[in-house]
Amino acid sequence: MNWLTSYLNLAGAYIKINTKSLLAYRGAFISQMVAMFINDFVWIAFWCLFFTRFPVVKGWGVNDVITLWAIAASGFGLAHMVMGNALMLPGIIMKGELDSWLLYPRAVLPHLLLGRSSASSWGDALFGIVVYAVFVKPDLPHFCLFLALICSVAVLFVGFSVFTGSLAFFMGSADSVSTQLRIAMITFSTYPSPIFQGFVKILLFTLIPAMFVSHLPVSALRHMSMTEALYSFAGALAVLIAGVIMFYTGLGRYESGNLMEMRG
Amino acid sequence: MSKYFYIALTSIRSKLAYFREIGSKTIFLFVVLYIFLCLWRVTFAETNQTTLGGLSLKQMLWYLVVTESIIMSLPPIATLVDQDVRTGTLAMQLVRPMSYPLNMLASTSGERVLSFVINFIVGSIIALMFVGPLDLQFQGFVMFLLLLPLSFALDFTIYFLIGLAAFWLEDTTGLTLIYSRMTMILGGMLIPLELFPEGWQQVLRILPFSAIVYGPARIFVTGDLSLFLSILAQQFVAILLFTFVICIVYNTALKRVFSHGG
Repeated sequence: MNWLTSYLNLAGAYIKINTKSLLAYRGAFISQMVAMFINDFVWIAFWCLFFTRFPVVKGWGVNDVITLWAIAASGFGLAHMVMGNALMLPGIIMKGELDSWLLYPRAVLPHLLLGRSSASSWGDALFGIVVYAVFVKPDLPHFCLFLALICSVAVLFVGFSVFTGSLAFFMGSADSVSTQLRIAMITFSTYPSPIFQGFVKILLFTLIPAMFVSHLPVSALRHMSMTEALYSFAGALAVLIAGVIMFYTGLGRYESGNLMEMRG
Repeated sequence: MSKYFYIALTSIRSKLAYFREIGSKTIFLFVVLYIFLCLWRVTFAETNQTTLGGLSLKQMLWYLVVTESIIMSLPPIATLVDQDVRTGTLAMQLVRPMSYPLNMLASTSGERVLSFVINFIVGSIIALMFVGPLDLQFQGFVMFLLLLPLSFALDFTIYFLIGLAAFWLEDTTGLTLIYSRMTMILGGMLIPLELFPEGWQQVLRILPFSAIVYGPARIFVTGDLSLFLSILAQQFVAILLFTFVICIVYNTALKRVFSHGG
């Protein structure tokens, strides 16, 4: 229990430092946050237009898609505003920049992931919560479950980023592949799940686990189903464990870059 | 003029050296086209219609091949200009015997043409696999080839202007992102303009976004001559207008450039 408190304290300290460092460039930070907010909002506008013309797609209405976007955006946002280095992992490994992280007495992976906050992710996180509250107008139980599911989706995105980023240990230059896989995951996560059938549906529960973002959390919120919420958490945890195993297996193959680096 | 042609050619050659990187981007193209095929297949089935917005399912997927290829072939024009301004590289460019905007146009156009060709080929293979060949008209294809370079040029002028905003703004990534999303949604990348509400269509047909994405794609699948003429006129007017604005902004911005030897 002590180690958990210790890591939560570390996370708290990093969030504080990262926020301060983002605020050092206040203009850039705010503009990136606002831009991401608008970017996400444009997609909501697209879906509103789509559902104005075609009101129901396989049982999904506009509110379901807004819920989906709210969960996906704020889950992705929370993941990378707290653990922004998850997005940078392939580059860090490829350039041999892991050296400095290996010197700390903490476990490498959580410490490394906490080391940076992505400015635009703050816009994503804010967007999801605002859009859900304003457009869907949930009651208190729905809103509480929504917040819990955001955490589940955040865990999933961190796990997936770690898994794909760790490919760099095995492939060398995995930046492009990792980015493509991550984009594929985000893209599949932001479309109504019932449009995918057959083999692709299996793929979206396994290799690209987008169904744990789009299908289960939305369905859990729709029916206030704790079972589906638990399935979401279980899926997210499984992806995180797979990512951690992949990272530490790959770490055994890591060779120092002999890189001199100062971290302030 | 030939020097700008050679700059474009050199840009294509240097991009070809990173062929694998361009190739990996086609994974995303595959994902997007597949998702939209699923979405439109369901939509066609649920509405029980054979055409939506004047396009059949087959035409819709081919329309998306063109729109996605146009959007995905975009080089980071605004970022390049932004960096040149911020790092002072622009001052180095100014002493060269060539125009900075035209140099940028040539190098990014070379890159864009190559990316477009690759995306279009891969997209066409995917469309052939999923829905089969399009009943392509020769006249439509020629009109499409005429509109495409103007669409790239128009897109360039707007991104170049956003890049120049680096003279005044701390960060232009926000503006770039907003403009790119406007092009995607209001330009008809995801849904053809005919499927927008009636009131919106009137406005969207005047805005430059539709001349960049919707116009060339719609002409490619339908070969509509009257639409071709109206898009062509729209492109010419928009290019002239934005070139004029670039001239004013660029000349004002140059007065803010300070350089020293070293």
